[in-house]
Amino acid sequence: MTFETNAEITWCPGCGNYGIRTAFQNAVLELEKKGVKRENIVISSGIGCHAKLFDYVNLSGIYGLHGRNSSNAEGIKIANPELKVVTFSGDGNGLGEGLAHTIYAAKRNQDITLVLHNNNVYALTTGQFSSLTPPGWRGPSTPRGSFEIPFNAMSLMIEVGATFVARSYAGDIKHLTETLINAIEHEGFSFIEVLQPAMPYHKWEEYKDKIEFLSEEPKSKEKALEIAHKAHRFTIGIFHQEIREVYHKSLYGELNPVKSSISRKIRLEKINEILKY
Amino acid sequence: MTNDVFTFLVGGKAGEGVKKAGSVAAHIFSSLGRHVFQMDDYMSLIRGGHNFSVVSTSTRWLSSHYMKADLVVNFDKRSCETHMNNIADNGIMVYNSDEMGNIEGIGIPLSSEADKYPMKSLMYGVGAVAVLSSTIGFNKEQMNNIIKKQYPRGIEDNIKFAGSIYDMVKVGCENKFPLEHEDKERKIITGNESICLGALAGGLNVYYAYPMTPASTILHFLAKQAENFGLAVVHPESEIAVINLAIGSSFTGAKTMVGTSGGGFALMTEGYSLAGITEAPVLIVLSQRPGPATGVPTYTEQADLSFALTAGHGDFLRIVASPATVEEAFYLTAEMLDLMWKFQTPGILLTEKHLSESAMTVDIDPTRAKWAEPIFHKIGEYNRYLDTNDGISPMLFPPSSEVIKWNSYEHDEYGITTEDASMIAKMHEKRYKKTETLINYLKNKETVEIIYGEMPTNIFAYGSTYMSVLEALRYAKLNPTTIQPKYLSPLPVWELEDFKDQDNIVVEQSISGQFTKLLTEKAGINVRTTIKRYDGRPFDPIELSHQIKEVLN
Repeated sequence: MTFETNAEITWCPGCGNYGIRTAFQNAVLELEKKGVKRENIVISSGIGCHAKLFDYVNLSGIYGLHGRNSSNAEGIKIANPELKVVTFSGDGNGLGEGLAHTIYAAKRNQDITLVLHNNNVYALTTGQFSSLTPPGWRGPSTPRGSFEIPFNAMSLMIEVGATFVARSYAGDIKHLTETLINAIEHEGFSFIEVLQPAMPYHKWEEYKDKIEFLSEEPKSKEKALEIAHKAHRFTIGIFHQEIREVYHKSLYGELNPVKSSISRKIRLEKINEILKY
Repeated sequence: MTNDVFTFLVGGKAGEGVKKAGSVAAHIFSSLGRHVFQMDDYMSLIRGGHNFSVVSTSTRWLSSHYMKADLVVNFDKRSCETHMNNIADNGIMVYNSDEMGNIEGIGIPLSSEADKYPMKSLMYGVGAVAVLSSTIGFNKEQMNNIIKKQYPRGIEDNIKFAGSIYDMVKVGCENKFPLEHEDKERKIITGNESICLGALAGGLNVYYAYPMTPASTILHFLAKQAENFGLAVVHPESEIAVINLAIGSSFTGAKTMVGTSGGGFALMTEGYSLAGITEAPVLIVLSQRPGPATGVPTYTEQADLSFALTAGHGDFLRIVASPATVEEAFYLTAEMLDLMWKFQTPGILLTEKHLSESAMTVDIDPTRAKWAEPIFHKIGEYNRYLDTNDGISPMLFPPSSEVIKWNSYEHDEYGITTEDASMIAKMHEKRYKKTETLINYLKNKETVEIIYGEMPTNIFAYGSTYMSVLEALRYAKLNPTTIQPKYLSPLPVWELEDFKDQDNIVVEQSISGQFTKLLTEKAGINVRTTIKRYDGRPFDPIELSHQIKEVLN
């Protein structure tokens, strides 16, 4: 089955989202080689430029509401844990409107992967500042320049409990593909911030020269936080990985609520037992 | 006794076992094969304040508590003062003489007696059970058996304490209201428990809720039953998460329910609309309490009806149904879960604190519960939003070699976003067809309960208010026709046609008369007058019967 759909692609020419789509496709193909069935990979997205990817990738899933995509992804995983769920988000979507859901998915160590397309701007709604925009952004909602300090997505996600935290770059398909594979294979909540220029607002040149690789993966959560605080926002690599029991296993062990749903007959017996005087 | 009903009322501070004493009384009555209705009135606090529990019982089915009690037991001064007017003619009040000076009734030194034991005020409930035991003619052995079973902590002290209270009240209480035994011992459950059991019978797999009175006990019950029934029961960060998690789970084919009250449902409305366009089957239990905003958390009202009927932006099929009794809550919940899956749309089981948290003896036949089942896609290329004659697109769930796309944007049949004018119109029409399909389906179902009477007036009520109406009419021996629409959206106008221009009155718990408006606007019902209550308290059958008499011709 093809990876493409018949949807008309409406990203701007040169947009970083193309790179993310290519890397995701590569990652899925690689995972298939490793034995993961494509039909077991399910996606969700929020609303924004990032989310258009939903229409351009021929996989099952939910094109949800702005900011609520990780809740959809969590709901899928809780009901049927055999599915691998990847949820796509923008910086406004996932760290603005959907901040609480993103943080809680990490807190729970929900076994899903969140790909945060970070273009530092609300692109689709014409360029307002986002949760990750550095101060001084002259957008239509901040004509004199924005003045809020941005979140540091790396330290934030390490702090709230994500068990795989990485930053990658839409201009480095190889790095992004590998990071996506690692994230999807990781058992637990994986968070990848993908640096992604949005064409009307940025130039690739603003990114290319600044990208730096993490020299080595930090060995502890404390070290990871320290490095996340120090590293500049163009530093890419895996900041943190740890093993912690995933949410659905803590909740119900080896159960699969939808696949092992109890028959009507047994349910009625159990209900009769409860209703017995 | 009021009519053929015996009522026990116990009042005191939160933390003194008031509710427990009420439940024990209810169990005593049901063990005699009698019918029971228990209503708990409590404040939004943990310790202190004033709580009371009213338990009415009869040898026939009864559908309300009575606020005139034959036996009132008060643990403290505030309770005494509050319930002065709740004593029935020939009723008895037993009060705590350590808290009150000499008043009419039977004073017992409840505090000083309880202080002799390490559990102290935690024993007041045991004292109330002792008073009740004496009053209904139980001997000490019968009483002790109940106490052993119901108060297993510190059994010896409890029995000793109960014995001394039993002896103290002998003179005024002993065998004052002997209770007739009846045919069958029945289980006592609350409305919320009944909703849970109905959902489980209907095939529930996943439940999400953020705690909110009066829906919280659904969450608690299902969390406790999760392992037994193989459920996932989750309390996430907010009601916004709740509804979106639910949509995610229903995408996998899991039968999913959520529960909340008005404020929580307000937060869910964005996701409610998402369920509308993605055609996600999600059942929402909306248990009303007095609003607006935080309102009065632990009391009852029916003022979220208009909101429930229209919530969510955009045009989509909304199903709203409301059970009148604890038993009906069981069947209607399973039926609603099935409707959500048959018609792939979100819907609301609308109830109120009065039904959610009141307890009744029930005769439930679980085999009569509906089983939720969608129409499945069988073979060939899959289109999630296939345009069919009845508007219902067959369902398929992951993992599948076919691609299944649910989309919050307007979409084509495959599920890809569209801005094409003809496709937008086509999809609106596809979804809209489901309304007609549903109405045709419901026309063959029992959607309105009508009890024909001999008086030339009809009384309309929905939800638990219908129970109050039935009890009021039974008390006053009146028999107008009573009409209870179980479905409020779509309102079964086909069943109501005949009543349009008859003499109609409505009873409801909303100051603006939201139910009256619905009947008038949707079904063209000519309503002469509406009896309203909006002080957070459920109707009392005696008071309501007076109000009904006043307006009957």
